Amino acid sequence: HTHTVRQTHTNTVALKRMLNFNAPPLKNAAAEPVWKVLIYDRFGQDIISPLLSVKELRDMGITLHLLLHSDRDPIPDVPAVYFVMPTEENIDRICQDLRNQLYESYYLNFISAISRSKLEDIASAALAANAVTQVTKVYDQYLNFITLEDDMFTLCHQNKELISYHAINRADIQDTEMEAIMDTVVDSLFCFFVTLGAVPIIRCPRGNAAEMVAVKLDKKLRENLRDARNSLFTGDNMAAGQFSFQRPLFVLVDRNVDMATPLHHTWTYQALIHDVLDLQLNRVVMEEGAGADPSPTGARPKKKIRKTYDLTAADKFWQKHKGSPFPEVAESVQEELDSYRAQEDEVKHLKSIMGLEGEDDGAISMLSDNTAKLTSAVSSLPELLEKKRLIDLHTNVATAVLDHIKSRKLDVYFEYEEKLMSKSTLDKSLLDIISDPDAGTPEDKMRLFLIYYITAQQAPSESDLEQYKTALLDAGCDLSPLNYIKQWKAFTKMAATPANYVSHVVVYNHDNLPVTRILDNLMEMKSNPETDDYRYFDPKMLRGSESSIPRNKNPFQEAIVFVVGGGNYIEYQNLVDYAKFKQGKKVVYGCSELSNAAQFTKQLSQLGQK
Amino acid sequence: MAVDITLLFKASVKTVKTRNKAIGIGFDSTKDEIFKRSRPKSGFSPKAKEVITNITKLKDFLLQHRKDYVSAGSLISSDLTRMTDNERDQIDQDAQIFMRTCSEAIKQLRNEAVKQVTSAQVKEHRGAVLDLIEIYLRGVCKLYSEQRAIRVKRMVDKKRLVSEVPNNPVNLWEEGRVEDELSPEEIQMFEQENQRLVSEMNSLVDEVRQIEGKVVEISRLQEIFAEKVLQQETEIDSIHQLVVGATENVKEGNEDIREAIKNNAGFRVWILFFLVMCSFSLLFLDWYDS
Repeated sequence: HTHTVRQTHTNTVALKRMLNFNAPPLKNAAAEPVWKVLIYDRFGQDIISPLLSVKELRDMGITLHLLLHSDRDPIPDVPAVYFVMPTEENIDRICQDLRNQLYESYYLNFISAISRSKLEDIASAALAANAVTQVTKVYDQYLNFITLEDDMFTLCHQNKELISYHAINRADIQDTEMEAIMDTVVDSLFCFFVTLGAVPIIRCPRGNAAEMVAVKLDKKLRENLRDARNSLFTGDNMAAGQFSFQRPLFVLVDRNVDMATPLHHTWTYQALIHDVLDLQLNRVVMEEGAGADPSPTGARPKKKIRKTYDLTAADKFWQKHKGSPFPEVAESVQEELDSYRAQEDEVKHLKSIMGLEGEDDGAISMLSDNTAKLTSAVSSLPELLEKKRLIDLHTNVATAVLDHIKSRKLDVYFEYEEKLMSKSTLDKSLLDIISDPDAGTPEDKMRLFLIYYITAQQAPSESDLEQYKTALLDAGCDLSPLNYIKQWKAFTKMAATPANYVSHVVVYNHDNLPVTRILDNLMEMKSNPETDDYRYFDPKMLRGSESSIPRNKNPFQEAIVFVVGGGNYIEYQNLVDYAKFKQGKKVVYGCSELSNAAQFTKQLSQLGQK
Repeated sequence: MAVDITLLFKASVKTVKTRNKAIGIGFDSTKDEIFKRSRPKSGFSPKAKEVITNITKLKDFLLQHRKDYVSAGSLISSDLTRMTDNERDQIDQDAQIFMRTCSEAIKQLRNEAVKQVTSAQVKEHRGAVLDLIEIYLRGVCKLYSEQRAIRVKRMVDKKRLVSEVPNNPVNLWEEGRVEDELSPEEIQMFEQENQRLVSEMNSLVDEVRQIEGKVVEISRLQEIFAEKVLQQETEIDSIHQLVVGATENVKEGNEDIREAIKNNAGFRVWILFFLVMCSFSLLFLDWYDS
């Protein structure tokens, strides 16, 4: 049973094709080099950077890569590949480039579809500059989303505050603004499905932003399918989807269905890095060698060095351990280090053998043996060096994470929150942890308290609440998120059946976080009061309906879960574990934007201040 | 999936043209033509493309003759397609001269690009272009060095083989010259000798093949080592620079410290003088008052 092609692979292939002047790249390694410059805007940059490194760009013949809105000098004998969004400013700048005759030929690739009128703007600028023949190719790439992992994507990185949880849920939002946000989200999701090459079955809850997105997406897909001439889902474009027997399930949920998980302290490697360090687009930025206190002799403190690490698909250790609990990661790094040292010793041992070799012409056998060893050692040298680099990388990252865990006592928070979310008995009192000056930053305490408030069956009494509030204020916390969460809780209680936070005891337990539970119900066609009321959309059906009754009775093999209002690595990891448990099923996680707990708390704080 | 809308674009161009004609706007194309022509013709790109075509010619040439070059042919066959050693030498020489000229051309282009007054972006672009060409040249050189290594091995082994062939056939030959007719015993002896030679040759051929493989590997390793040593050379140079800089800094530091000590000392002397003066003036005033 074949799955649809891996997401990163598809997108990387699509990008490489675009960079090869929209032709499939040749396999021949010793081919003539063809050079070109790449011009992108910030969206294009975010899309390309997790998938292709600078070296890979160079290997494809790209001599320069520049931002669209920067000062660019004319290089008249070079073709230029553009990869930009078709916005007003970008189109203006392209027209300006055409008028200034910056490059020899132009290959325009628009991240999402360009409108006819904007195309005419470019046409008239090209005519005016007498450059029509120079515009060699124009493509709509439908790549308006950021692929971070094979099974994870997000919509936005720069300017993500425009479609964040705060942007969607603030009290003073206008209808037009909401429409604009929804349109952005739908456009990206549409591009996602065009690239995937499949038309999904859409399920969404009623009465929130997720429903709005579902309705609009269904409409857009339907319109495109009906348009026989320009349909993007015809046979030639559906290369990837042709061989899967079933259509994928697309589950849209709103962030409001689970507010505790974004605040949760976590214990798995990737999620921890996102929580305590600076992880953006698979890149970690750390400061090392920090010597904060000046030494007593008055010497200058050691300068902090900024280090950047890329966590890529080629990093085998990362792929294996990004979802592992942190203690396991520390052990594995040690194991890798030991095996590396063993290999290094082998190579060093060879040096002594080489030195002992005699001048015997007839000892062909000895020569051949040593030659073989030498060859294997030399060919394994680059591999060994790469291994060393990765071990250093993970040692540094893991050490930084460990420092945070130790200084903030994050393990205490993690355990307590797990107990809260699984309704197990609590051994410590919440007040003790909040009042403890050694455990955690004010933000950690606020997160813990918010999770307590969210998961409590009944709201705490007024006096208890006051006690907590005083303790939090003493610890230096900002209480505005609490105002918003109070509102949210009241609203959720009013709105629908209360969601239960069940069993989140051990990280490896499938079927635990709310989003995973919802997916499981819908994918396996299980009946559950939580999901029975979800709407059902099938863009391929002739007429839309308001019903919730699915026509398809078989469990789905592939699903895409999308959270409107922001997602996080904890949910992603939970879904990955679920998919591993249910062998043969493929689950892809998407979110409108990725926030770690700090960013999410800030958004709640802004909402609570209104 | 990407959608090609080039035709749509061309259609838009037509639409705009007709619309402009209808409104009465005509674009002054002649001015733009002159504008284009007046742009200085940079010689960089055509020269770079020329170097690439040359390297491609070399690559095609090497690949074309590769099979003949590499095939040892059996020593007994008289295959007409087999290359003589002279021809091989010729190919080696030509290839080397060619590679050297290409390498020179790249260096020259680099120097020219550095001297020319252009913007930083254009400089960076040209540097990257030359890097790409160099990598291409290196790939083609690798083709050449691989087949040359095989050939060199063969030559070395052939020499060894020739020297190891026993001298018995020569003796027999001499013996045979004495008698005009070959007796049946001698025929048998010759046959036995032939058998022995054939089996010896076979074993030698096997050994030769093995050695062949080893020497190719060694030559490749040697190349890698040379590369690494050169890399290390640049690194050592930079370390040397750093160390020299560091010693300079330390020397300057020492000087500064000496200065500071002197100033400190001088400062102290002045303070002492001032205090002594103050106390003397106090004593004077006191004496004056009394």
